[in-house]
Amino acid sequence: MPDLDFRAAVTRARPAAQPAAEPAEAVATREVNFYYGSRQVLFDITLTAPEREILALIGPSGCGKSTFLRTLNRMNDTIPNTRLTGVVRVEGEDIYAPGADPIALRRRVGLIFQRSNPFPFSIRDNVAYGLKVNGLAKRKADRDAAVERSLQLAGLWDEVKDRLDTPAHALSGGQQQRLCIARALAIEPRILLMDEPASALDPIATSRIEELALELKTRYTIIIVTHNLQQAARISDRTAFFLSGRLVETAPTQQLFTNPGRKETEDYLTGRFG
Amino acid sequence: MFKLVTFRRFTAVLGGVVAAVLVAVVVFFVIYAWPAIRLNGWHFFTSNTWNLGNLYANPIERNGRMILPGAHYGILFLIAGTLLSTLIAVVLAVPIGAMAAVFLAECVPSQLRTAVSFFVELLAAIPSVVFGLWGYVVVIPFLGHHVYPWMTAHLGFLPFLSGAPGSGYGLLTAGLVLALMIVPLITATVRDALVSQYRGLRDAALALGATRFETLWTVQLPATRRVLVGSGILATGRALGETMAVLMISGNALNYLPRNIYSPISTMASFIVSQLDSALQDPTGLAVRSLGEVALALLLIAVVVNGAARLLLYYQDRTTGTTS
Repeated sequence: MPDLDFRAAVTRARPAAQPAAEPAEAVATREVNFYYGSRQVLFDITLTAPEREILALIGPSGCGKSTFLRTLNRMNDTIPNTRLTGVVRVEGEDIYAPGADPIALRRRVGLIFQRSNPFPFSIRDNVAYGLKVNGLAKRKADRDAAVERSLQLAGLWDEVKDRLDTPAHALSGGQQQRLCIARALAIEPRILLMDEPASALDPIATSRIEELALELKTRYTIIIVTHNLQQAARISDRTAFFLSGRLVETAPTQQLFTNPGRKETEDYLTGRFG
Repeated sequence: MFKLVTFRRFTAVLGGVVAAVLVAVVVFFVIYAWPAIRLNGWHFFTSNTWNLGNLYANPIERNGRMILPGAHYGILFLIAGTLLSTLIAVVLAVPIGAMAAVFLAECVPSQLRTAVSFFVELLAAIPSVVFGLWGYVVVIPFLGHHVYPWMTAHLGFLPFLSGAPGSGYGLLTAGLVLALMIVPLITATVRDALVSQYRGLRDAALALGATRFETLWTVQLPATRRVLVGSGILATGRALGETMAVLMISGNALNYLPRNIYSPISTMASFIVSQLDSALQDPTGLAVRSLGEVALALLLIAVVVNGAARLLLYYQDRTTGTTS
C-alpha cells in the first residue's frame, strides 16, 4: 500500500494506544433508514458513538453522512416529506419515540454547520441566544458568565472580549465558526455534531478548529462529518465510512486508516474514487 | 474595451436623466410657487386657514403682489391630516404585512405559495380609485353605523377614541383603507426576503432548541429588518401621496384640525385635486401657486420621512445586536 499522508498524520497525532476500557454509548442507532419523499438515502445504519470520543464520518459526497448526522438531533424533521425508520438512542433515550421532544433534544445535542451561520446580532447576543430561547441564565450576570465561559471554551474569548457588542459578521470566517461553536456550547449540550465545520476555512483556522475539537472531547461527545481524510485521521478516535447511504465499515481510526477491513474503504482511502 | 466604455456612458446618461428629472421637478415647483412662498411665509405651515379670498372683488396689492382681498393660505390641517392618516396606515400595515409574509413564506406549502402570492400581488395592482369607491359604498356605511359607535361607547376612555363618531368619513377610515392598499407592498417584499433568506440562519436557531415561532420571531424576521424598513419607506411614500381613495373617504375637511380619530380630514395630495378647480378661478394666480407650494411641501415631507428612516437604519446597523 502506498504511504499516504494521512497515515503519517495518524501516527503523529496519536502515538498513545487506544483507551482500554470501552466507554458508555452516547449515541446508538439501530437499522436507521431515511427517506426524502420516496427516495431512500440511508440504509440500515447501525452505529454507536462512545462517550467523550470523536467519531468521524467519512465518505464521498452524497453518501448520506450529513443526513445521518442530522437524524441525531432531529434536524431532518424540519424538512418536509422526510421519513425515518429504525431506532436512534441518545444517552439511552429513544429520540424518535412518540412524545419525544425534539426541542429538548436539540438542547442536548448541538450542531455546528458547514458554513458558519452567526445571527445578525452582536457577538454577545449570538452566544446568549440559546440561553434566551431555552429560558436559561435569566439574570444578566449569569448570562454574561455563560457567554464568557463559552467563548473561552471555543478559544475566542481573548480575541473578542473587548468588542462583545459589535456585530458578529465583522469577525473573520474562522472566528465566526468558533463563535458558532461557542453559541452551541453556551447551553451546555452533551453531544456536539459537526458537519464539515472547517471545509470553508483556511489551514490555520482549520487547525484551530481541530485543536478545539480535541480539547472539547474531554467534556463532550463529538461526531464530525468531514471530507478531509487527514482531518479525520488527526482528530478522531473512531471513523465510520459511508458509501451510497450504507455504513460500509466502522473501526478505531488508526485501524481503519492503516488496515481497512473492506475493499471499498481501501479504494476510497487510496483515492481510487470519491 | 470600447464597448464597455460606450455602455458606461449610455447608462451614465440614462442615470443622469432620471436624477435630472427629479431636480427639474423640484426646481420648477420652487420657481412656480416662489410668489406664494414669499407671500405666505412661515404662516403657510402654522396657520389653519385656507381661504381664496373674495373672488368677486378687485385684487388688492400686498408686498408688491396682487392678491384677492381676504386671501390667506395656511395648511396646518393638511399636514396633520396627511401625517396622521399615513401614521395610522403604516402602524397597522407593517405588522399585518409582515405577518402575512411570514404566513406565505413559512406556513403555505411551496406548491400553493405561488398561487396565494399571486392574489396578494393582485391586491397591490388594484387602482386606488377602485379602493376609494369600495371604501365609499361599503366601508364607510359599515364603519359609520356599526363600528365607530361601538368604539366610542366601549373604547371611549382611550384618548382620541371618544367623542362624536361621525358618519364614517374621516381619519380612521382613511388610515384603514390606506393600510389595505399598502399591506400587499410590504407582504410581497418581506415574503421574498424570507424565502430567499439563507437557510442556515433558521437551522442555527432550530438547532439551539428554538421553536419554529421563536426562530421566526427572534431570528428570521429581525434578519429581514432592512427589507422591512425599506418596504415601510415605500409604503409610507405611497400612503403620503395617495390621492383618489383618500379624496373619496376622508370627509375633505377644510380648515379643521382632527379632534379625534373619527374626525374628517384632508390630505395634501387629495386637497390639491379637490381645490384645483376653485384655485383656477383666482385671477391673480396666487391660489394655484399656493397649491404648488402644497405640492412642494408634500415632496419635502416625503424626503424627510425617507431620510429619517434611512438614518434609523444606519444607526441600527452600527449597533447591531442591541435590538435582538
